[in-house]
Amino acid sequence: MRISDYLKKENCVMNLRAISKEEAVREVAGALVSVGKVKDEERFVQDVLEREKLGSTGIGLKVAIPHAPTDAVNGFVIGFGRSELGIDFQAIDDEKVHLVFVMGTNPEELSLYLKLLSELSRLLRKSDFREALQKATSGEEVVDIFKKFEA
Amino acid sequence: MAISNIVVALAGGPKSALPAKYAIGLAKKLKAKITVVHVINEKIIHDLIKARVVVEAEARNYYRDLEDQGWAFMKKIKKLAESKDVSCDMVLLKGVVHEQIVGKVKESGADLLVMGQLKEILSMKEVYIEEGERLFWEAPCPVLVVKNDDMVEALFKEQ
Repeated sequence: MRISDYLKKENCVMNLRAISKEEAVREVAGALVSVGKVKDEERFVQDVLEREKLGSTGIGLKVAIPHAPTDAVNGFVIGFGRSELGIDFQAIDDEKVHLVFVMGTNPEELSLYLKLLSELSRLLRKSDFREALQKATSGEEVVDIFKKFEA
Repeated sequence: MAISNIVVALAGGPKSALPAKYAIGLAKKLKAKITVVHVINEKIIHDLIKARVVVEAEARNYYRDLEDQGWAFMKKIKKLAESKDVSCDMVLLKGVVHEQIVGKVKESGADLLVMGQLKEILSMKEVYIEEGERLFWEAPCPVLVVKNDDMVEALFKEQ
C-alpha cells in the first residue's frame, strides 16, 4: 500500500507541454489511460477540475496535487507530470508549478486514497525528494525515487 | 480463564473483514459477544487540510462519506455475526485510531482485542507505523493478531 505500488513509468510525463492548469490535468490524465483503470477520461478530468474550483491544489513549493474521488476510475490512480517552464496553478505562494500529481479514486476506496494523498503530501515536503523528481530523466527513475523514499 | 467480551479493530478495507470473521468464530465457540470498532482517522484529514491539499468543504464531504462507508462495513460484519448467532455491537469513532480503540477496550472492559496483520497496518511510514504499533502495545488486554486469509476463511465456513 505504497504510492510506488500504483505509479507506473507509463503514467509519468517528463516534459509537460501544458501551460494552463486544465491542460496539465488533461495531459497527465491522458497518461493514466494506459493502466486501464480510467473508465471515462473526460469525466475524470472534469471531476478533478471541479474539485479545483473549491481551492487550488497548488500547495506551494512548485507542486500541485489535483485530485478527486470519482466514479470515472476503478480503484486508485496516480500520474505525474513535470513542466520545465512552470504552470500557473493559482498556487498559494503564487509561484508557477513544476511538479504535478493527478490523483483519482473510486469513492469506495476513499480511505486508501486519503492515506496515499497524505503520504504524497508528506514526501513532497522533503526538499531532497522534490529535487530528485526535478532531476529524474525518465518515468522509470521517478518510480525508483518513490521506492527509495518510501522504503 | 473466560473470554466473554471481544473488541475487533476494523481498518475499513476489504481485508479487515478477516479479523472480524476470526473473532466471530472465536466468539461462537466461547459464547462471547463482539464489539466491532471502526475509527475515522481524523489526523490524516486534519494534516491534509493543514498542508492545503484538502479544503474544509471537501473534508466535510470526506467525513460524511467515510462515516457512511464505516457504518455500511460494520453492518455487513454484524450480519455475518448474526448468521452465526453471535451478538455484535457496532461503534464508530473519530480521532487518533489507536487512542480511540484503546479507549473503547478500556471502557467496555474487553478481555481480548482482535486486530489484523501488522504488516497491513504498518505499511506506510509515520502515518501508520504509530497507529498499528501503539494499538498493539498499548492495549490493556491480550491482543490477537489475525493472519493467513485462507485459513480464516476456511475456519469461518466451518462454524
